[in-house]
Amino acid sequence: MIRTRADRNVAALAVGLSLILAACGGSNASPSAPAASSAASPSAEASTGGSIAPSASAYAPPAYAGPEATIEYAIWGDPTELKNQQAIVDAFHAAEPKITVKVTVSDWDTYWDKLQTGLAGGAAPDVFAMDGPLFPDYAGRDVFLDLTPYIQGEGYPLTSLNALAVKDFTTADGKQLGLPRDLNVIALFYNKDLFDKAGVPYPDDTWDWAKLIEVGKKLTIDTNKDGKIDQWGLYTETTDMENYWSSLVWQNGGDILAPDGKSIVLDQPAATGGLQHLQDLIWKDKIVPDPALFAETGDAFEQGKAAMEANGSWLVATDEAAGLKFGIAPLPKGPAGQATSVNPTGAVVSKGTKSPDAAWAFVRYLASPAAQEKIMALKASLPVNTEVLTGRFATSFDGAKVLADALGYAHLKPSFKGYNEFATALQNELDEHVFNAPDETAAEAVAKVKDQLNTILAGQ
Amino acid sequence: MTTRTRRRSPLATESRWAWLFLAPTLIGLAVLSAGPIIAALGISLTKWDLLTAPRFVGLDNFGALLADKRFLISLRNTAFYVATSVPLGIALGLGLALVLNQRLRGISWIRTAYFLPVVTSTVAISLVWSWIYSPDRGPLNGVLGAIGIPAQRWISDPFWAMPSIVIMSVWQGLGTTVIIFLAGLQGIPQEYYDAASVDGAGVRARFRYVTLPLLTPSIFFTGVLALIDSFQVFDQVYVLARPGKATEATVTLVYTIYENGFQNFKMGYAAAEAWILFLIVAVLTIIYFRLQNRWVHYQ
Repeated sequence: MIRTRADRNVAALAVGLSLILAACGGSNASPSAPAASSAASPSAEASTGGSIAPSASAYAPPAYAGPEATIEYAIWGDPTELKNQQAIVDAFHAAEPKITVKVTVSDWDTYWDKLQTGLAGGAAPDVFAMDGPLFPDYAGRDVFLDLTPYIQGEGYPLTSLNALAVKDFTTADGKQLGLPRDLNVIALFYNKDLFDKAGVPYPDDTWDWAKLIEVGKKLTIDTNKDGKIDQWGLYTETTDMENYWSSLVWQNGGDILAPDGKSIVLDQPAATGGLQHLQDLIWKDKIVPDPALFAETGDAFEQGKAAMEANGSWLVATDEAAGLKFGIAPLPKGPAGQATSVNPTGAVVSKGTKSPDAAWAFVRYLASPAAQEKIMALKASLPVNTEVLTGRFATSFDGAKVLADALGYAHLKPSFKGYNEFATALQNELDEHVFNAPDETAAEAVAKVKDQLNTILAGQ
Repeated sequence: MTTRTRRRSPLATESRWAWLFLAPTLIGLAVLSAGPIIAALGISLTKWDLLTAPRFVGLDNFGALLADKRFLISLRNTAFYVATSVPLGIALGLGLALVLNQRLRGISWIRTAYFLPVVTSTVAISLVWSWIYSPDRGPLNGVLGAIGIPAQRWISDPFWAMPSIVIMSVWQGLGTTVIIFLAGLQGIPQEYYDAASVDGAGVRARFRYVTLPLLTPSIFFTGVLALIDSFQVFDQVYVLARPGKATEATVTLVYTIYENGFQNFKMGYAAAEAWILFLIVAVLTIIYFRLQNRWVHYQ
């Protein structure tokens, strides 16, 4: 599967301070006021009649009662994230002294190679990070421990977590094989300095495709008049559906797969219209640079060479590090309204683990408010815990609320068995003939690979 | 009568020692190469995702490969890579070896410099070359622009993508070829040149009738190495194709093996591909060895 450099770095976050959790657990132990919290879910509200039904705020995770255990927790990420993880794991160990967690980190590509060979050879980590779109490929091969018995046994409130993110780790027959850990959503980032210099008002939630082109053209500038554009209106990445194009398809009223997941509907006019819009932004309206220009040097927006960028929430950390003065707005709306893409990362337990109870205690901890606030601090992804997401996160930086609100109209990044093979075949065609060079219209390109894609879907 | 106690000829004793010294390599080959090669043949007859039990499917994988567009494209790209990088590498390596085979001040430093890329990680080299090839600010387009050649998109241009990879690989592998040729050149006795000169041979004639024939064993040897090595081209593509994936223009056979085995959960299919690669390389190498009588001259 293809993800951006930034994305690869990002998803390794998570986990928090268990002392706080233990304190919360203590004070909320009596279920006297279920559903009182603002984060309580609809189902919890429905049970307000003084019942003992679990609610997010009343839930107190039981202390780990098993034998001493050492578990391995594998993530992908970079040294910053590893450092962050280690602090979190240490805090967990302080709260649950009988459990020791060892974090192992790999880069994105190596991570999956190691995971597969580890699972095949019976040497898989006890707990490991799982990318939403790849989940079905592993879940379908029976390598995860089913967490449903723990969830039901403890009355663990899944409703305290973002519903889309939870759904990504639920199987078709309703088993919960993992908990979400953090998530990323696509939005419009804009460079305030470049907007101010051009005297153009910042993007807001009234923007649509036409407005983006209109302003984008004003901000696409050949500064030194040498015939080459020096500043682009909009930058985005075309090599993965997540970065922008799936949102455009949804905004145009189209979709990628049929509801049953057995065939594509990406060849229908509503869908190809979304793809076509991106081709036009590059080659007709010319407000987005030819992807080849920045393929080797990376993000044009981060380098101050683009006024806007349509991309994921992981950019907050990198753009801040780059010293940009930027704001965040919703993606410009399409003919069929607003839509964006959300992609959660989860934590799963290997079926072969020797310490399932300890592994569950740790996975549960990763989704706890204490751990989630730790994730938030890195600004490389959003928390999945709704209490943290709508509370502290939404006010934690300029634009955070836009990202949190975007979850209200977001679609899950497509997630199905064979995703990787499917995405490779499709993206090859699009990159080569639609985005990197306008040899074909989007409709022609999708028509060309339609049979191949449907064969891949049927072969799963 | 004392001879009766010597039950083995000196030659037999020698061959026993030979086997003993060869043993580590032979055992290594048997365990680490022959074993996996045979195991891969078994796996190639199954549908196996690495995580659940393999299912025997006979020759289905091989049949499916013949209809697999990406596999056929990767075969074409690999053939192009081999057909261009091997002769180019040998020709440039030979030329460079002739130049470096001089008694100049600091020649060993220059030779070392040419060998450096060989001992540098391909990933590091690919990253540097991806900057060189960068359409916007890459030095290659900068130099070409200075002499009036329009900027190319190199890696992301389907026409230039594979040649770009070939150029980088040839540059990287040049050091090995040069070292072998230098050794070959220095093994040619000076008397031959002296004799040729006496007979009135000029620089060209000496190269054509002394150097080249006596260098054929070295050319043969580098040819085998380059042939086998170039069929396995992977890391250059893997790194230069980032971000994203190897496209139709750059995908190679080993890249699709990796892709199918480790990303698409099709290990049986990938093993079938690996076996096809093995057979292609084996057959070509055998043909190459058979043909050596026609052009390789051992002193």
